[in-house]
Amino acid sequence: MGYVAVTGGRTAIENANKLVHSYRLKDAERAIEVKEIESQMRLLVDRVMGEGGLYAPEYAALALKQTEGDVHEAAFLLRAYRSTLPRNHYSMITDPGEMRGIRRISSSFKDIPGGQVLGPTYDYTHRLLNFDLRNESGAVEQFLEDFALELDTEMDTPSFPKVMDLLREQGLVANRKIDEVEPFDITREKLAFPAPRSARLQLLSRGETGAMTALAYSSMRGYGAVHPTIGELRVGYSEVHIPYPFADEEEDSIYIGELKLTEVETVNSFTQNNQGDVEFMLGYGLTFGQNEVKAIAMAILERSLETQGQSPTQDEEFVLLHIDSVEAQGFVSHLKLPHYITFQSMLDRIRQAQKESKVETGSKG
Amino acid sequence: MKKARLTKILVEGNPALLTSLAIQVEATVSVQVEKQPAPGLVMVKAKDSISMNPFYMGEALVTECTVSIDGVFGMGVIMGEEAERAYQIAVVDAAFNCKLPMIEDWIPDLLQEEINIQNRQQEELISANRTKVHFDTMEDYNDKS
Repeated sequence: MGYVAVTGGRTAIENANKLVHSYRLKDAERAIEVKEIESQMRLLVDRVMGEGGLYAPEYAALALKQTEGDVHEAAFLLRAYRSTLPRNHYSMITDPGEMRGIRRISSSFKDIPGGQVLGPTYDYTHRLLNFDLRNESGAVEQFLEDFALELDTEMDTPSFPKVMDLLREQGLVANRKIDEVEPFDITREKLAFPAPRSARLQLLSRGETGAMTALAYSSMRGYGAVHPTIGELRVGYSEVHIPYPFADEEEDSIYIGELKLTEVETVNSFTQNNQGDVEFMLGYGLTFGQNEVKAIAMAILERSLETQGQSPTQDEEFVLLHIDSVEAQGFVSHLKLPHYITFQSMLDRIRQAQKESKVETGSKG
Repeated sequence: MKKARLTKILVEGNPALLTSLAIQVEATVSVQVEKQPAPGLVMVKAKDSISMNPFYMGEALVTECTVSIDGVFGMGVIMGEEAERAYQIAVVDAAFNCKLPMIEDWIPDLLQEEINIQNRQQEELISANRTKVHFDTMEDYNDKS
């Protein structure tokens, strides 16, 4: 049987587009402002930027508005949009170790240089619905005013030296510098396995939070070898510079803004080096925005992929090809598209098989 | 003033200051737009602190613009959709590259704005520092019951 092209449904599709638009608005007292999503759905915006691989808070908020909060669709919109833009610059190397930190904790060491700074976190809140949030009119200004008054401007500002440097200085870290000069770019080059470390990190960095969390969880529960402690988790702002094309001096660069990032370094089981010394292995996670679970999951998966074994999270192809939001949701969603020929072919085959079976049974009888 | 420092002040500083500087330039010399403000991408290269090597973590949306004054170029690149500011940064940048006399007068304002930026950022850090944990050592507990 050959393929038969069909057409139709154009009006139905146009009406469906209008209908979904009406469902987005029909119970709304007013259309939600993009700015409101950007400022009050902070963590969701961060997640969409991370999974879309594009740092653009306003556009991520717009995508969320357009998709009625569907994170996969919103990330898809960002990816699609970025593909229409020219990439004229590569940044200088951004070092999250030098970030302007607003949160930094370690679950490995109690006393760390700069201290444990909890920052903005829901980690220590009661998981109880706050019904007061149903009506905050007037309370917002009052809260922000009171909060500002509480600030003591004489107070020190935190500085966050890397916690893992404590271990590095004592020679307790096994991970060694590898010579991979120019990073691999998964958006420009075809990925082949085994993938270079830079490609793995790039894929993980724009991976889907839920998929990565599930895989990392599986590793910790026993379907894998990695169950770390968090050497350091930090959230803050990192400056981005690009080379200045009209520079007199070679080193000159220009500042274009800053990124909010979450960086995680995990401490994993130790290994014995060639000299017989025992050393820790570290894992690394870095995401756009504040997305701590994803950054931890990334560190677990990144470390897991550096180990040998039979578990799913040690299978590079399995992990890296299934954590991408756009690819995974796209492939699953495509099942909704017409598969009439495919299914008709299956029907034909099952009918043919039944017919042959009856003939065979008849001839035996 | 180094470009990195100048552009940080222009990007993070009060937009009103940037506007006033650009207007001064436009009122004095002829500014030619070489490349209209347009959105684009910057691929962010981040340092992986384990291997100490960079990797591409994702792209940032930017608006970029190029102008010239008497054939001398100036460039403005800023994160987000910021056509006006990208143009204004390019104008100020070109003014510095042309060494227009007015830039000497700008320095005090730029330095003051740099302090304002630091103060603003410090406020956020101070509010974060209020969440620093002060551990108290608990008394020894030896339950023999």
